[in-house]
Amino acid sequence: MKPRETFEDDNIYILVEKIKNGDREAFITVTRIYQKKVFLLAFSFFRNREDAMDIVQETFLRFYEKVNMFRRGKNFQNWLLQIAKNLCVDYYRKNYKRNSDLQREKNVKELCQSSYSQKELNSSLDIKQIFSKCIDGLSEKQRMVFLMKHYNQLEYKEIAQILNIALGTAKSLHFKALQNLKVLMSPYMGRQT
Amino acid sequence: MKHCKERKELAAFLYGELKDDERKRLESHLEVCPQCRKEIEELKQIVSESDSLKSDIKKALASVDWEMLPSKISENVFKKEIPLSRGSRTGKFWGLLFQPRFRPVYTALFLGILLGSLATFVVFRNSGFNGTTEGRFFVSGDFLERLELEMARRETLDYLEKSQYLLLDFVQSSPEKSAEFWQSNFASIRARDLLAKKKYIDLQLDRFQMAKAKKICDQIELLFFELAQITKELPVEEVKKIQNLIEERQILLKINLVKKELQDNEV
Repeated sequence: MKPRETFEDDNIYILVEKIKNGDREAFITVTRIYQKKVFLLAFSFFRNREDAMDIVQETFLRFYEKVNMFRRGKNFQNWLLQIAKNLCVDYYRKNYKRNSDLQREKNVKELCQSSYSQKELNSSLDIKQIFSKCIDGLSEKQRMVFLMKHYNQLEYKEIAQILNIALGTAKSLHFKALQNLKVLMSPYMGRQT
Repeated sequence: MKHCKERKELAAFLYGELKDDERKRLESHLEVCPQCRKEIEELKQIVSESDSLKSDIKKALASVDWEMLPSKISENVFKKEIPLSRGSRTGKFWGLLFQPRFRPVYTALFLGILLGSLATFVVFRNSGFNGTTEGRFFVSGDFLERLELEMARRETLDYLEKSQYLLLDFVQSSPEKSAEFWQSNFASIRARDLLAKKKYIDLQLDRFQMAKAKKICDQIELLFFELAQITKELPVEEVKKIQNLIEERQILLKINLVKKELQDNEV
């Protein structure tokens, strides 16, 4: 497995200490290092650029507010992504929940039967849209784990830390997410555009 | 349908998260298990479908000016001058103390205090509270005054009644018999009792200004004083003289009147 880019050494602690003292340059450096990771998480969650940008801005704003709560020994990236994840969930509940409540709460079977009927199958939906809808059909935690694993390429250990769950739970949620996606996608398999 | 226990490891295998020995074990299993082989092929397909979104992500990533963004964000952050409220030691302390994970503990604590207070209230109201105030009783000065007046009235009535019986006995009996009676221990003890009682009710009568009652009580006292002096040597004539005196002064009648007034609570 190729080593991923991280900044988890003394440098990040030094930068954080500087930010605590109001160092703007240090803040810009930290933002530069982690902005794409936060964006990736938010974009995969909403699949909407504007919302993802809002989350990035809000995450670094929140980071600055809470910087004094960060303690040496913690994994900075996971801590920051935890802030981003919480913001995503809040933002989603506030702005998206109402529109797609029905779809989200339905179980996999119902979704297969109702949401993706033959009518839709024959419509102009391409595989990206279908897959996007299928991701929305997952439960909040399964969706989060799947997105973090697939698009952010985080390890189970990191996902577990960010979501504050056990390692085994993270693994199991990921497997279930794939299983459910398989069921949700089954009507469209072999119909790739 | 029964699944292999290795099935749950398939996702981790697909994403390269298994250790070498685990991976080798699963690979050997896949060679012999068609069911898991089928499953992993399906999962691979899902994973490749998921990659369809990656082009969108790449496009979105490319559309952002990552060089400018940090400066823009920092401008917003530092322009707002966000207070770093949890910066101080006390801030950190409170931050740690009120972490969201402690919410259940605080809730339980609060409920405990609430239930404890309620239980204490119920227990004290039913038993304990009565126990502590037993023997203690609070009344107003006015009520106490009225109580004392009532007691004085009853004492006086009692005194008058007893005296009336005794005097009635004395008056109605023949002088010889009366002399004999008053020479007995019984009579002298009763007379002394009544004299003692008179001393007590004197104070009360003065205090509550029961003038009429006081007057008649004084007369009775005088009589008893005389009668208590009766000895064996006291002649029958002397007894007769006292009997006449009682009748002349209509003492028994006066006693009756005062008694009635006292009973009507008018004195």
